[in-house]
Amino acid sequence: MLSGELPKLANRKCAAAAANRPFPGAAPRHSSDGQEGQEQPKAWDPALLEFLVCPLSKKPLRYEASTNELINKELGIAYPIIDGIPNMIPQAARMIDRKAQDEEPKQT
Amino acid sequence: MAASIGAVGCRALHSRRHGKLLSIGRGLFSGARCLVAEGETHFGFQNVSETEKGEKVYHVFESVAKKYDIMNDSMSLGVHRLWKDILLHQMNPYPGTQLLDVAGGTGDIAFRFINYVRSQWEYQIKQKLKSHQNLSWQEISKSYQEEELKLPGGSQVVVCDINKEMLKVGKQKAQHLGYSEGLSWVVGNAEELPFNDNKFDVYTIAFGIRNVTHIDQALQEAYRVLKPGGRFLCLEFSQVNNPLISRLYDLYSFQVIPVLGEIIAGDWKSYQYLVESIRRFPAQEEFKAMVEDAGFLKVEYRNLTSGIVAIHSGFKL
Repeated sequence: MLSGELPKLANRKCAAAAANRPFPGAAPRHSSDGQEGQEQPKAWDPALLEFLVCPLSKKPLRYEASTNELINKELGIAYPIIDGIPNMIPQAARMIDRKAQDEEPKQT
Repeated sequence: MAASIGAVGCRALHSRRHGKLLSIGRGLFSGARCLVAEGETHFGFQNVSETEKGEKVYHVFESVAKKYDIMNDSMSLGVHRLWKDILLHQMNPYPGTQLLDVAGGTGDIAFRFINYVRSQWEYQIKQKLKSHQNLSWQEISKSYQEEELKLPGGSQVVVCDINKEMLKVGKQKAQHLGYSEGLSWVVGNAEELPFNDNKFDVYTIAFGIRNVTHIDQALQEAYRVLKPGGRFLCLEFSQVNNPLISRLYDLYSFQVIPVLGEIIAGDWKSYQYLVESIRRFPAQEEFKAMVEDAGFLKVEYRNLTSGIVAIHSGFKL
């Protein structure tokens, strides 16, 4: 009887340990963003968008997932995100040529 | 393409901070650069143009990034840790504080902030338990949670640095030490912060402001991004008041530190720049005046280790 109970206890302990694991690796199963704690250091944290603005015009930016850039439509520039760290130095920004030309007749 | 660069350049010229913008902008705004004269400034004991200073400082930190922490420990014999701890104690952040750490590179201040806020939260809970207050369900569940999905109270720290190598080292350190939540990394210029006005409760810059080309602009930006009631804290090398210690300090700085730099980091010049830049940085009272000029009130400074470093503090009121 005792031997029957021991494996059960052991299993429970393992399950409990796994559930309480203070390891960031446990979180990714619940997040749907694709933002994982450890495996992908290149993940971008969309929460930063609340704080970030363009350093030149101080206007909010839009995150473009396809090119992994932060775009300031008004000035037509895009700031790259490298390894999950946005690079907000104006000299690192890229001019969005075609978009700027298309939007010129619309802008003043 | 040239026309659109010119148009952006013109817009940039109209902004207040065009001088510094042109000093850092290269390919993007190179056409407009010739329209404004470049000022001269110092890089250690050399005199260089403002553009050069920015680039040289960038290269210094790019080259020392990987050995930065080891060098800090060897040069200061570990005392820099105490200085940073004292800075945090002076800050005394409560859970819920939003911190902006500029020139925060490898994250020393940010990690200390996170530790401090967490231990404050635990202390608060213990106090409540001691006084037999009933904890809310939220607090009880948080105290059981080993892995907290957010920092207590919604505290947040943004580490901003102009050098992405330093931030990379910082990010790796964060992953090793297990700091992930409430911590963000941004590459940005202290003279032109990519943040909106009135966003942060505390702004810190530890051992970074002497490397900034236009200190007054960095101070103005600090004023801008702080919330009303926010605090500015600057930890920086300063002038030693005691003549005997000053002589020993000079001896140590100029004879020992560059040698250590060469042995440990393989870079004599960068550490020569470091000790020279310390000498060129304004003294406590002068820097206090600069902080006041930016609009901060109740500006005070506190010397540590007989003035080798000083913590300047000011409030946006």
